[in-house]
Amino acid sequence: MLTKIAGGEIIDPVGGRHGVGDLWIEDGVIVDPPAGRNAETTVDASGCIVMAGAIDIHSHIGGGNVNTARLLLPEHHSAHLPRPSETPLSNLGWTAFQTGRLYAQMGFTTVVEPAMAPGNALHTHLELADIPIIDKATLAVLGNDDFLLSLIRDNASSSMIEDYVAWTVASSRALGAKVINAGGSAAFKENVRRFSLDDIVPSYGVSSRKIVKTLQMAVQNLGIPHPLHVHCNNLGMPGSVDTAAATIAAAEGVPLHLAHLQFYGYGTEGKRRFSSAASQLAEQVNATPEITIDVGQVMFGQTVTISSDVLRQFSARGNAHPKKSVIFDGDGNGGGIVPYRYRKDFYGSLQWAIGLELFLLITDPWRVFFTTDHPNGAPFTAYPALFELLMSKEARREMAEGLSASALALTTLLAIDREYTLEEIAVMTRAAPARLLGLKDRGNLAAGAIADVAVYRKGKDIAKMFGSAAFVFKDGELVVKDGEVVAHRWGRALRLAPQPDKTMVRRLEAYHQERYGLSLDWFDFPDWAIAREQPFSEVACAA
Amino acid sequence: MAVAWIGNRDAPVQHAVEQAAELLAASRCPVISIDTDIHGTRAAIALAERIGAAYDHPFEGVARETATFTDRGGIFVSPGEVRRRADVVVVVGDLPAYSREFVSELAETVPDLAGDNSRSFFSVTGTPIGPFPADNQGPVTHLSCKGTDLTGTVAALRAHLAGRRISSPVENADRLSKALGHARFTAFLCSGAGLDDLALEMVQGLAADLNKKARASILLIPTSEAGWGSVLVSTWTTGLPLRTSFSRGAPEFDPWRWNVGRMIEEGEVDLHLWIGAGSPPAKNGDSKLIALTKTGQPVADAAITIPIGEPGADHDAVLLSARTGTLAARPASEPSRMPAAATVINSILEHLDPTC
Ligand SMILES: [Zn+2]
Repeated sequence: MLTKIAGGEIIDPVGGRHGVGDLWIEDGVIVDPPAGRNAETTVDASGCIVMAGAIDIHSHIGGGNVNTARLLLPEHHSAHLPRPSETPLSNLGWTAFQTGRLYAQMGFTTVVEPAMAPGNALHTHLELADIPIIDKATLAVLGNDDFLLSLIRDNASSSMIEDYVAWTVASSRALGAKVINAGGSAAFKENVRRFSLDDIVPSYGVSSRKIVKTLQMAVQNLGIPHPLHVHCNNLGMPGSVDTAAATIAAAEGVPLHLAHLQFYGYGTEGKRRFSSAASQLAEQVNATPEITIDVGQVMFGQTVTISSDVLRQFSARGNAHPKKSVIFDGDGNGGGIVPYRYRKDFYGSLQWAIGLELFLLITDPWRVFFTTDHPNGAPFTAYPALFELLMSKEARREMAEGLSASALALTTLLAIDREYTLEEIAVMTRAAPARLLGLKDRGNLAAGAIADVAVYRKGKDIAKMFGSAAFVFKDGELVVKDGEVVAHRWGRALRLAPQPDKTMVRRLEAYHQERYGLSLDWFDFPDWAIAREQPFSEVACAA
Repeated sequence: MAVAWIGNRDAPVQHAVEQAAELLAASRCPVISIDTDIHGTRAAIALAERIGAAYDHPFEGVARETATFTDRGGIFVSPGEVRRRADVVVVVGDLPAYSREFVSELAETVPDLAGDNSRSFFSVTGTPIGPFPADNQGPVTHLSCKGTDLTGTVAALRAHLAGRRISSPVENADRLSKALGHARFTAFLCSGAGLDDLALEMVQGLAADLNKKARASILLIPTSEAGWGSVLVSTWTTGLPLRTSFSRGAPEFDPWRWNVGRMIEEGEVDLHLWIGAGSPPAKNGDSKLIALTKTGQPVADAAITIPIGEPGADHDAVLLSARTGTLAARPASEPSRMPAAATVINSILEHLDPTC
């Protein structure tokens, strides 16, 4: 079917298009204007902006820890249920089904679950397969697993380590690799309670830095498009800026992605010894071209923190609100679930401001990514409000009025005039994520790209504009109209499929038999287990 | 075509499916008991949503395990980490029979990740654990406290370890205390099958006390692998565990109100759909029963019986593996023509009027 999205303001930074025009779609992809043919369907996009579907690179939408969070908080669900559509900001998009709908309504068409435990891959993919409309992808978590730490301790060759990373990514159907507090979970199991970049994991004699560097190089050498995704040590601690700064410096010219940098923007100044170090961090990011970051913006209200950084979650469990938490000493990383309420007090205000400082002080929209680390800083349903804060200094000033003045005084936020342009929003949420993840078929509106298209009705109310898309197309199918879901379809999980080395597979089989008494089937699974047609879609590694 | 039964009469499966759809559509208070694989559970919840049913598993122990999460949270460990790391293992209360194999495995191996490659066992239960006798003849040190039950013993033990005075001493508590003093990683093994809510909470308290200075964690062994697998599915599909109802449209979780066993007993139910291997509870009054179970004959008192296969035996399935603590694909070990629960439920769904 030939569809024309007519007369919208097309914003496609990749194709260099910015202006009023038509966009044509046929058979699920964007096509050049067909000569001498009429559209079978025409969508009137006058007064609207037209962008590629948005891509979220870091949002905890499924898998063991996410599901445990649901289980821990049944009251959360029911509290928000009566008016889910009227109160999007208080809705966590809690079920797999709602997650897909709510993302689609905002014009998001691809979302990455960034923390899949490789041993939990089947469970994670089953959950993701129940998220409708959007495409999904996962990052496999490495760096606290005995197999890798032992390889590093024993000075294994880089090719052996690459074989292991390739096998992990392939068997778990991931799109990339992530390290979360490298070595910190392993150290916690040996009763270590503080763990930083140059600390050594007991029993291995391997530093956190060494783990990060090893994985960074393996990802690079394997041609995995997405650079190693790093959750640094010391998340959320006063002074964590030093850890982030040291990690950025450790990139040494090779691409590295730092997740939810806001949680590391903390200095130790002021009488509470908790201050903003965002401008220092932003400056360092600006000066380090191989670094990309996502923000992990904090917004106010009730949420739940979900992290495979078990050490950090263990130490944060005293702040749980409501007062219950789950800590899991799992294979490899494990994780922790701590419900939390961000208040407009000194701490909450400071965290909110630091995230915005990072967004506004990092100059290159190709290197700063739009996340709340859902649901850690805020549920993803807070995105429309966050777009408004980025695009309007007036909105920031208004919001700041109700916040802690002493906290804001420790930041540069109110002195920043920058307002994101629509072009920059299109880069940050479409073009840049596609490039970062190696997804050549999306994030742009050139002929041949998948027809994932978001159309927003222009208006003064930015949050309303981005919260409720006028039209959304997924693979060319109209799925949202006037903010309402009009069609359900099942998306796919995007995955890499590097060929695992046979010697490594034999070695891993022997290791698992000997150490766990289990076969490698634990990690791998046949596609029929997902019970959907074509649950996966393969993305190529670089040659 | 395999046969089904309407009452005691043979009927084509197709016909039984149509009849089942009619009964479900007509029911005012339908309930579903789920004891099957992951895709069977997904289908059953979709059916519950369509007809406004309450759905549950038939395992009281799983309900207690669920409450551990929904009410309190806690600290937990994976079975793999227990095998590789735990140098002190404390079994509290009876474990489900299927876990005997895992306990034997722990006895036959030593932790290789930490500690001095040895493992000691303690037991707070009056019954044999795994392959070991219930007395102190084997490698297990038994802890007991006269004049109280299991829950009381756990409470006394926690007090003893915390250095508080207790009225009657726990036999061998000092040996445990000494072992914990040297432990690199202590694992408590327990299950909703063997402990009540209070005892489960007390074990969490014990672990929390120990974690102030050392490392300890709890392996909660599910009463039923199928039951816990269903809890996981239900949680991601409705946001809530089992004992949830769609009777008012949106799903509501209430472990007392939507306890299907209780509802049947108290006559609140007019139609019970049973999906699973075991035998359904006796029906009450003139409520009707539809049984989806592996059988070669009609289930007693059932209005409709439709045979289904055993997941992972008759047909490919995804099941929870308590041994890994996660979901696993299980290809059919003895493939047969017996259909999966999901297949039968989905064809019932197809026969329901879409507006019902
Ligand atoms: Zn995260």
